Amino acid sequence: MPVVDGVELPETPLLDELEKGPWPSFVKEIKKTAIEQEKAMKAGKKIKLPGAAKGLLKVLELAYKDKRTHWKHGGIVSVIGYGGGVIGRYCDLEDQIPEVWHFHTIRINMPAGWFYTTKALRTICDVWEKWGSGLTNFHGSTGDIILLGTRTEYLQPCANALAYADQLYGGVPFDIGGSGSDLRTPSACMGPALCEFACYDTLKACYEFTMRYQNELHRPMWPYKFKIKCSGCPNDCVAAKARSDFAIIGTWKDEIQIDQEAVREYAKVIDIEEHVVKKCPTKAISWDGKELKINNRECIRCMHCINVLPKALKPGKERGATILIGGKAPFVDGAIIGWVAVPFIPENELIEKCCEMLEAIWEWWDEEGKFRERVGELIWRKGMDEFLKVINQKADVRMVYAPRNNPFIFWRELNE
Amino acid sequence: MTEEINKEELKQKILEHLAKKPWQVRDLAKVLRVKKKELDKIVQELIAEGKAAYWSSGSTTYVTTKEKLEEMEKKRSGT
Amino acid sequence: MVAQEVEKEPEETLQPKTDFGPPHYEIMLHPVVKKNYGKWAYHEAVRPGVIKRVAESGDVIYTVRFGTPRLLSIYTVREICEIADKYCDGYLRFTSRHNVEFILTDPDKIEPLIKEVQEKLGFPCGGTRDTTNAKYCLSNIIHTQGWVHCHTPATDASGIVKSVMDELYDYFTDYKLPAQCRISLACCANMCGAVHASDISIVGVHRKVPKIDDDAVRRTCEIPSTVAACPTGALKPDMKRKTVVLDKDKCMYCGNCYTMCPGMPIFDPDNDGVAILVAGKVSDARYPPQLSKVVVPWIGNNPPRWPEVVQTIKKILETWATHAEKYERIAEWVHRIGWERFFELTGLEFTEKLIDDYKRTPYIYASYRTSAAFRW
Repeated sequence: MPVVDGVELPETPLLDELEKGPWPSFVKEIKKTAIEQEKAMKAGKKIKLPGAAKGLLKVLELAYKDKRTHWKHGGIVSVIGYGGGVIGRYCDLEDQIPEVWHFHTIRINMPAGWFYTTKALRTICDVWEKWGSGLTNFHGSTGDIILLGTRTEYLQPCANALAYADQLYGGVPFDIGGSGSDLRTPSACMGPALCEFACYDTLKACYEFTMRYQNELHRPMWPYKFKIKCSGCPNDCVAAKARSDFAIIGTWKDEIQIDQEAVREYAKVIDIEEHVVKKCPTKAISWDGKELKINNRECIRCMHCINVLPKALKPGKERGATILIGGKAPFVDGAIIGWVAVPFIPENELIEKCCEMLEAIWEWWDEEGKFRERVGELIWRKGMDEFLKVINQKADVRMVYAPRNNPFIFWRELNE
Repeated sequence: MTEEINKEELKQKILEHLAKKPWQVRDLAKVLRVKKKELDKIVQELIAEGKAAYWSSGSTTYVTTKEKLEEMEKKRSGT
Repeated sequence: MVAQEVEKEPEETLQPKTDFGPPHYEIMLHPVVKKNYGKWAYHEAVRPGVIKRVAESGDVIYTVRFGTPRLLSIYTVREICEIADKYCDGYLRFTSRHNVEFILTDPDKIEPLIKEVQEKLGFPCGGTRDTTNAKYCLSNIIHTQGWVHCHTPATDASGIVKSVMDELYDYFTDYKLPAQCRISLACCANMCGAVHASDISIVGVHRKVPKIDDDAVRRTCEIPSTVAACPTGALKPDMKRKTVVLDKDKCMYCGNCYTMCPGMPIFDPDNDGVAILVAGKVSDARYPPQLSKVVVPWIGNNPPRWPEVVQTIKKILETWATHAEKYERIAEWVHRIGWERFFELTGLEFTEKLIDDYKRTPYIYASYRTSAAFRW
């Protein structure tokens, strides 16, 4: 057995191969946890789950050898008052590796935009050193902080430790995130905190939705999951279009703001014709060497020219967002990128309009949705006409690439 | 008063069903011919009383009795 | 015998507190970020990994980005904190693609910070772009849990990501690409990390239906809920034998039944592996968002380093990087040259498995506008 700093590690010849190479190694992270947590315990720190990281090394080495997982699903969600946020896991090698027999995950609701103080991050570390494996993910796919691996009996104390972190750890309190048939933890791009492209306050919107819908987030009651993501502009850095049922994409309606002097500065270092004019998808831009002209009637606000010339071009002043509905991964009816449900909501009405719409959608989906049917699939089953009534929107040509190519229209109102 | 009694009866009935298997509330609502929203509320009360509990597949969530949950977890955690 | 009362920790006796939500983002913002919130004027690329952001007030912030393995030890997170205290007044952020970003106000601290992070943590600086000059770093790979924590994965996640990024390391740390390229990995087709709109996606696929262990089903399972969990109705109860039967033609290998019932595992060491998809995107820039398309139906799992997967990804990436014009992402490049040329140039084989025969996605979907790009 290899011994590091007085700590015995299991033999892991296959995993050791993944310590090689320049990219940071997750195997090193697991080993480091095994070593440091044991050292901390020997130094007198309270640690409830010693050896968990070591156990994970053993399980993972076997997974690599056997080319299969050694985890089984558990359904337990033992945080009082909550129906989500914990993913139950049991190892199928209880006799061999009792340290990770229980290895449940806890999802922690991250701050909007993934901004942290070191005090907040240290809170997570202190709590998880004591009550869990010491292993984390920054971050999970939906955006939560993932605490990987603890036992059933430590779930509630761990949640309490995080909730009372200010009193118990001198830290920052954290709440549990979503899982199961509930509102998943909403997420947002860095938005106006750092980015000049943000067409609305993504962090504020994300925080508002999260706080207003704590009940929906913590007490699953729907047919399936529901995700909200906030992107400040059509570049969509949080992939809201593909990864959320309700994507709020910042955009604008009026003219792109141009600083001609700044364009001329850029022209000294790059070829405006090559980098900007030729790449415009609607050929809405011209450049005569002195002045950049944009035909805003033709502009589709794709962001390319603004991305290339951030000092010279800015989104217009009439800002807001487009709502896309239905984005999701493939199961069951195939992968979906969300599609336009509302072409434009002005920034000052955005949060309230979104809330009205979300509540109407949830009411409808909760009533009509089948088990495991995401809202996009329900719309396919019921039709856009019904959905538009639910969200109180008129049909708009911006909702489609093209009108239907068949005349098989259901004239329901004439055939009641 | 009668409403209270009916509610207690309904709660009992719900628990009998939940004791058999984990349920999606929407399915149980159909079986019991209760509005799903009403049932959501009652199930929340049962959970708060510690009689019912969530069981989650990770992607979807079910409700069952506390005893059934413990039995299920015991079965699946065993080797 | 009465068990000795163990002294309880305060965490074990406190009344649970619920629904208080995440910490407010405002307390997490660097004072200069907070001061200039919503008032940023422009940004420019300083070097790979470093972006200078200038506010209307004239204030300047530098964000310095490092790739992480996503799976982080709390002891690493504490080291990250020490560095952030030393260089950034205790403020930092993570990106949507598992990178950590330090927030600096003093440009003289950039190089020392990069050096210290490299030495102490081994995290590479990079992953950004210089859009003005059409020079791009490869983004970090977003990924799922795999064999580290999932019960239905068809492959590992972290191991493949590590192996691919080792091979493509220089693409992360340097501007070597003509356009944005986002690689993503989901360890099964359930895609808890939705990777269906990525330039290159690696997706774990099962190829065999779950193995029903009748005895284990009897011991461990709720038959009605197991049957109900099947999204395609492929499972039926067998009341007589107290087990379930499976219609193999209906099964789509999702593993939902295994979630409900440990008696019917979906994993299969010889038949699990990954599919490779390309040409997806979510940004509206130039060309509308696209779903990724399958170009390799299956490569078997070959741990610990999946050399066949790594070489295939590298081949696709380098073929594209060589042939694409400036700003042309894989989707746009293929749109210009055609799939015939894509298969010719990459040397990948086109087989009948790549012709769509999945009938559940309705035809109507093709006409819906999956983009916020339109005229007013």
